Amino acid sequence: MLRKSLLVALLLAGCSKGPQADLQYIKQARSLGSEWALINEQARQGKLTRVYVSSMHQWLRQQLQTSSSALSVPNARYAIEIHALLQQPDDAPPQELRARCAVLKQIEDQLESA
Amino acid sequence: MNPLELTLGIMTAVGGFVDISELVFAAKAGSTFGYALIWVFAFSTIGIIVFSEISGRVAATAKQPVFNLMRHRLGLKLGLITLAASIVSNLITCAAEIGGVALVLNYLTGAPYFLMAILMAAVMIASIWVLPFQWIERTYGLLGLFMIVFAAALVAIHAPWGKIAGGFVPHVPHGLSTKELLTFGYFAVAIISAVMFPYEVYFYSSGGIEEQWGPKDILTSRVTAILGMALGSLLAISILANSAQLFGPANVDPELPGTAALEAAIPFGKWGLILALLGMFFAIAGAAVETCMANAYSIAQFFGWIWGRHKKPWEAPRFTITWIVLFLLALAIVLTGVDVMMLVEFAILFSILVLPLTYLPVLLLSEDRKYMREYVNGRLAKTLGWFYFAVITVAAVAALPLYFLTSGGNG
Repeated sequence: MLRKSLLVALLLAGCSKGPQADLQYIKQARSLGSEWALINEQARQGKLTRVYVSSMHQWLRQQLQTSSSALSVPNARYAIEIHALLQQPDDAPPQELRARCAVLKQIEDQLESA
Repeated sequence: MNPLELTLGIMTAVGGFVDISELVFAAKAGSTFGYALIWVFAFSTIGIIVFSEISGRVAATAKQPVFNLMRHRLGLKLGLITLAASIVSNLITCAAEIGGVALVLNYLTGAPYFLMAILMAAVMIASIWVLPFQWIERTYGLLGLFMIVFAAALVAIHAPWGKIAGGFVPHVPHGLSTKELLTFGYFAVAIISAVMFPYEVYFYSSGGIEEQWGPKDILTSRVTAILGMALGSLLAISILANSAQLFGPANVDPELPGTAALEAAIPFGKWGLILALLGMFFAIAGAAVETCMANAYSIAQFFGWIWGRHKKPWEAPRFTITWIVLFLLALAIVLTGVDVMMLVEFAILFSILVLPLTYLPVLLLSEDRKYMREYVNGRLAKTLGWFYFAVITVAAVAALPLYFLTSGGNG
C-alpha cells in the first residue's frame, strides 16, 4: 500500500502540469529576484565590486530566463510577473524588484496552501 | 607528535572542509529552515570524524586502501558495482567543483566561465603533477582558511547566539506542513551526503598510505580528524547561520553559489566579499583536486595498479593517465553547459547511494583483529561506526524518493 502511494506520488511529481507543477519555478524566480534586489542594495552602498555585480546580474538573468521558459502555463499571472522581472534593467531599484517578488511570494503561498 | 605538523594538519583540514555542495546546502538550509538544520551538520560531522578516524587507523595499521578492501570484502561483482557507482559519483562531484571554481573566478575577474573552467582544470592538473602529495593538500587547505571570514561575519552581524545554540539540539521545527517536512527531510539527507562524501574517506585513507603512516601516527591522525573537521564544520555552520539571519528574512533561497559571498560583504564591504570569494575559490579547488585523485586512487587500487603521488608520474603511468583523463572528463561535463547547481544535486544524490558500500568494508576490516591487532575498533568506535552505517543506509534509501517528492528541495 505504502509502496503504491509512493509510486503514485513520484509519478505525479514527475509528470504534473499547471500552477502546482510551476511552483518550484515560481519559488526560484522569487528567490532570484530577491537576490538581485539584495545585490543592487549592497552595490548602492558601495559594498560590492563592479565585476561581481555585473557577473551576478548576468547569472541571475540567465537563471530567471530558465525558470521562465520552464513554466507550463505561460500566460498565468506569475508568468507575467516573472517576465516583468526579466524586463527590469540590471541596476533596477531594489524596491521595484522586491515589489515584484512580493507578488510572486503571495502567489507561491496561495499555491502552497491550496 | 610534531606540534608544527599537527597544527598544519588541523589547519589544512579546517580550510579544506567546505566544498561546493556544503556551501550551497548550508546557505539554502539556513534561508529555508533558519537554524533548525544546524544539528544535522554537527551530527554528520561526528559521522565523518568517526569514519576518517577508522580509515586512518586502518591505513596506518593494516596498510590497506579502501578499494583494495572493497574487492576482497565485497567480492568482485559487488566490488565492481561499487567501483562504477563511485566513479560516477566522484566524477559528477569533481565536475561540480570545477564548475564552482570557474564560477568564483568569474565573480572575481569577470572572465568568461568556460575559459576559466579550462584554465583552472589546467592549473589543477599542473599542481597535482608538480606538488608532492602533502603540499597538494596543504596549499589548497591552508588558503581555504580565508573562509574564516564567514565566521567573523557571524560575529559582526550580532547573530542570535541563543538561537544558534538551540540549533545544535536535534529537533524538527513545529508546525511544518507535510510538504515542508519532506523538504526538511531532503535537506537533512543532502547535508549528511555533503558532509560525509565518499571521496573524503578514499582520499584520507589513500593519503595515509601515501605518507606511510604507521601505528605511531594514529594519535596524530585522530587529533587532526577530530579538531580539523569539527572546526571546519563550524565554518559551514557559520554560512548556514549567516544565511538564516541575512537571507531568510529577505526571501532569498540562494540559487547561485556566489550569493553566499554576500554574507561577508554585508558586514565587511568589498574586502569581505573578496576574502569570501578567495576562500571559496581555494576550498572548492581543493575539493576538485581531492575528488579527482580519490577517483584515480579507487580505480588503481581496485585493479591492483601501482599508484600514488609519492612516485614520479611516469613511475605509476596508468594511475597518472587515469587522474588526467578523469579531470578532462569532469571538465567535458562542465563544458556541456550543465548548471552547476544541478551538478551539485546529482553529486549529492549519487554520493549518498554509494556511501553505505564505501563504509561497510572499512568497518568490517577495522574489526578484524588479524589485520588490526591491538588497534582493532574499541567499543566506542564500533558502536558509532555501526550507528552511522545504519543512518547512511536509511538516508540512501530515502534520498531518491525525497528528491522527486520535493523537486530537489524546491517544494
